[in-house]
Amino acid sequence: MTGFASAMSALTGAATLTLGQSDFPHPMHQVTLAHYLVLSALLFGIGLIGFITRRNLIIMFLCTELMFQAAGLALIAFSRFHLNHTGETFVIFVLTIAAAEAAMALALVVLLFRRRETLDASAWSELRG
Amino acid sequence: MLGTLAQHGTDTVGDGAAAAGAHVAHAAESIAAATPGAELMLAVPALTLLAAILCGLCAAFRVRSKLPAWLSVGCLGASFVCVLLTYLNLAGEHGAGGIVPRIAHGFEWLTFQWGRGGTGGEGRSFVADFSLYVDSLTCLWMLFVTGLATLIGLYASEYMVGDVKTAGYSRFFAAFNLFVLSMSCLVMADNLVLLYLGWEGVGLCSYLLIGYFYKKPSAVAAAKKAFIMNRIGDLGLSLGLMLTFVHFGTVQFNELWPLIQSYASGATPTPFIVQLIPVLFTVGAFGKSAQIPLYVWLPDAMEGPTPVSALIHAATMVTAGVYLVARFLPIYALSEWALPIVAWGGALTALLAATIGMAQFDIKRIMAYSTVSQLGYMFAGLGVLGSVGAASHVFTHAFFKALLFLACGAVMHGFAGQLDLRKLSGVQKMPGWRIVGLTMLVGCLNLAGFPLITAGFWSKDMILADAFSHPQFRAIGWILLITAGLTAYYTFRVYFRVFMGPKYFEPGDELHAAAHGDDHGEAHDAAGHVTHSAAPHGQHMAAEGALAAKGHAHDHGHADAHGVFHPHPPGWAINLVLTILALATFAAIPLFFIGDHHGWVGDLVHGSSSNPASAAAAHEAAMHGHGPHGGSFLGMDPHAVMYYVSAVVGIIGIGIAFVLHLAGRTTPATSRADALLPALGPIARAAQHKWYVDELYGVLFVTPLRVLSHIFHLIDKLLVDGLVNLFGWLPRGIGSFVRRSQSGVLHDYGLRMASGLAIILLIVLLGVLR
Amino acid sequence: MDLFNPLLLYAGCALGAVGVAVALPRRGINPQVVGGLIAAVAFGLIMLALARSLDHLPTVTFYIFGVIAVGGALRVISHPRPVYSALYFILTILASSGLYLLLSAEFMAFALVIVYAGAILITYLFVIMLATETPTADEVEALAEYDRYSREPIFATATGFVLIAVLGTALAGGRGAGSLTPATRYAAGRHLSELSVRVERSLREAKLIEPGEHIIVNDSLGRPAIDVEGGTILVGRSGAEAGQTEARIIPREQWPADVHLNNTEGVAFSLLSSHPGAIEIAGVILLMAMLGAVVLARKRVDLDEQARAEADRRQLVDPVVGGSS
Repeated sequence: MTGFASAMSALTGAATLTLGQSDFPHPMHQVTLAHYLVLSALLFGIGLIGFITRRNLIIMFLCTELMFQAAGLALIAFSRFHLNHTGETFVIFVLTIAAAEAAMALALVVLLFRRRETLDASAWSELRG
Repeated sequence: MLGTLAQHGTDTVGDGAAAAGAHVAHAAESIAAATPGAELMLAVPALTLLAAILCGLCAAFRVRSKLPAWLSVGCLGASFVCVLLTYLNLAGEHGAGGIVPRIAHGFEWLTFQWGRGGTGGEGRSFVADFSLYVDSLTCLWMLFVTGLATLIGLYASEYMVGDVKTAGYSRFFAAFNLFVLSMSCLVMADNLVLLYLGWEGVGLCSYLLIGYFYKKPSAVAAAKKAFIMNRIGDLGLSLGLMLTFVHFGTVQFNELWPLIQSYASGATPTPFIVQLIPVLFTVGAFGKSAQIPLYVWLPDAMEGPTPVSALIHAATMVTAGVYLVARFLPIYALSEWALPIVAWGGALTALLAATIGMAQFDIKRIMAYSTVSQLGYMFAGLGVLGSVGAASHVFTHAFFKALLFLACGAVMHGFAGQLDLRKLSGVQKMPGWRIVGLTMLVGCLNLAGFPLITAGFWSKDMILADAFSHPQFRAIGWILLITAGLTAYYTFRVYFRVFMGPKYFEPGDELHAAAHGDDHGEAHDAAGHVTHSAAPHGQHMAAEGALAAKGHAHDHGHADAHGVFHPHPPGWAINLVLTILALATFAAIPLFFIGDHHGWVGDLVHGSSSNPASAAAAHEAAMHGHGPHGGSFLGMDPHAVMYYVSAVVGIIGIGIAFVLHLAGRTTPATSRADALLPALGPIARAAQHKWYVDELYGVLFVTPLRVLSHIFHLIDKLLVDGLVNLFGWLPRGIGSFVRRSQSGVLHDYGLRMASGLAIILLIVLLGVLR
Repeated sequence: MDLFNPLLLYAGCALGAVGVAVALPRRGINPQVVGGLIAAVAFGLIMLALARSLDHLPTVTFYIFGVIAVGGALRVISHPRPVYSALYFILTILASSGLYLLLSAEFMAFALVIVYAGAILITYLFVIMLATETPTADEVEALAEYDRYSREPIFATATGFVLIAVLGTALAGGRGAGSLTPATRYAAGRHLSELSVRVERSLREAKLIEPGEHIIVNDSLGRPAIDVEGGTILVGRSGAEAGQTEARIIPREQWPADVHLNNTEGVAFSLLSSHPGAIEIAGVILLMAMLGAVVLARKRVDLDEQARAEADRRQLVDPVVGGSS
């Protein structure tokens, strides 16, 4: 029953969420790194599945953004676990790359769309062996 | 020293082995003293090399004159003078014949040392310098090689005149000089390797010159045949060379003789290897000198220009085998089988070639078979330890056979390549052909062994006598005697049919074959068929007996209409050479009566390593007393009666030829001999077809090899090519399978990338967990 | 009571794969709600598998944000309409930023919302509108064929969830099981000594130092005597030096709450003092991307011949419908 009690205290800890407090979030020790990492893996996997299954070019790029998110979440979690801000700094660079990629990719998508009037990725299979 | 010893040696075979051993040992010592005096001999290779290079330059600079011929004749003449001077210089030292062997060192050629230590240690060495071994045998060979080469070069300068306007003239003389260079290396080599170099060199030049008309398929085939047949023999020689080095540890003659001599006493049994060496040498000699079973290339070699046939394939190169056996007679004497092989091979070849020669119609080919036959004589002579007779026959044969070939060549030259004795008749009576006819008669008499007045008679006698003087070789003697009769018959068959009888000729096919670049005069080249006005010599005045090309008689003077052929008598160069050679055959006769050992040649032979006395002694020792001993001819001393016997046989042969081919003959194509053909039946036809030997070789060797080559071709095509193609097809097949995965669709690539990532992570994780 | 069970994780993954596969758009019946429910159960199973004991159950907020993030992501890949996908992606971003907050990365949480939801996703929405055939007047808005059917859903989900299972097994073990320690222990805390003015102001506001007193500057190093590791701040009269008796130690227990390097300051120190070169490179990359986008967007592109022929054919066959089927 101690487990249940600590679960309750975790709830209360979440309720008393205060930014900037030195001991925030207080019951955080009950959350392990693994939770965040597995969550990140889930997001990554879903993004990957989407990338493979969806045929709309824009959705496919959205899925890559999803995978970027997963990576960012993992980085933040590691940063928190190791108490080192470098992980967060790295997420900034991930955001940078994501933004650049989005700009380029969407420009390309627009070009491709103008060329074939379709967003179907299967329409572009010139590299067929 | 050697000379004196040689003079003391006797002809009887009972001479002591010990004396022979001392004899050679002395020779070795005297060589070790490095007697000078033979350095002039080095000029021979140098001069011939110079001439060859100059001829090559002539070809390169497009010289279109007779310059290469004069260069060659000059250089060859100079080398003949060098040889003659050297001989006279050396021979003067110790009286007639005997020459102390000496070495003229040219330059260091092949010297290898391996193992440890210097001389006498564990280290071994292989030394083969470009040095000349000059003894009396060398002098003999070099004298007639350079002398004949000079004369035949002079002859060729006119004979080859049809090619002056092409590069062929320079090419011919370059190869000609290269041949003399190789021949001098062969004859004067002081070690087996240099000898082998010369051996291969003459083979190469033979190939080049037989294939001189390289646009003619038959000439190319003949050249290849000669070369390949010679390869078989060369294999034997090279194996013998290697065995010599393996066993004796040296290939230098002056070091070899004492080593060989150490077995001659019979005290120690001769090892098998030493017995094998001469047999292998014999293979080489039979290949080069066209003996059974390797003789078939020589008749075909007549495809080359006639001077080549005369010099290389009659007088000099084909005697290289004889030279080899003569030079190594001491080691032959040690072997139980080598001498019988040589003797029987030679005798059978002599008989076989003579029978074939009887049935041929191509006069040059008949001469070729007679060459094979006479070479057989020489080998038989060597085989019965009659090296003096063999060398004498080489010497006389060189002159008279060259003479015969050159006379045939003159006929061929004048009648547009006509060589068929059925289409020529009475040539001697045509104007301008008298010298040719007379010299041909001299040559024929020599070859037939006409008694007393011909050199050929004396040298042939010596071989016959030697053969009969050994009881175990009596059969050989009879074979040779029969051959002598056959030789006389077929020789005079040619003479009576071509040079005697009613005048008639048909020009050869070269009249219309100007494009062949053939070896007839340029007169025939000029317009393809009209010849008379273009002839340069102005000597071919219309003969009263000149006949039309189709064989119709024209008894009036100038037959100047188109299509009329005028025979083309030889010019001064050919006539001069023929005359000199004819006189030389007579000049050789007195040489048989000077000196102590059956003439001048006998002295020279006795003074060399092929001394028959010491060889006989060694052979007797090696055979444990079963060596050759005095035999008899029908109970008489062969040396005494053989003169009469062979004279009778020769005259009988000539007589038969007269009866069958001259007496009562009215047409050129038929003779009384034709009447005998049905009686002979298949024998005559078989002889005409050269006893089907070429066909037999074809069945025995060529066909199986061809079948084998087809099999290998199939293997190559199916297995090797198949493998190669498999390695070509395999990636393509795999590729065509794998290519389907390259759909070009982004999702497929993404899926595969993800699966790969998953699999790699799975492997890593399983590895970590385990 | 160790609840961690890889089998539970694998079962969750398998169930999740089924759920996602069901939820993905496909031909015929497409029970996306059922798929979503199955996926939710699977998510619960996976989370349960991670709870080593009941003591380690995380806070409810984690669950809330986690469910929203994963559910949003699932909708991103399963919704047939691209616009909705983009909007669900914004939901995922927001949930992620909530998780960032839970991880006390406040700066990154807000930066994420601003950059992603504010900038990138708006671009996406623009492009989606730009690149979708406008329905004709008499036609109900039709989905493109490539939006209605997904490609190889079974293989893709199987592969994806194998990957998730493997990653989960790998990440849940080892040090990943460790709890997250209080955020005050950030290594960047030592940079507090470089903020002496701010620290002194906080101390003065908390009346911990009297007027005339300052944080002592360590002469030998030229740094203020703020020892974060030791938890001491030396203060004294002006002119006083370290080691002098007038100097006074303020221990950590007395420090006010804002004498603490907050997240933004930590990121700033990390970014500017540890990775200045990377910032420059990132700037160049962004500049290049901007240039590239401009160049690409200005490019005039015509329909290629194949597509034009296709369009012509469609016009001929059915001039009314036009566009894609």
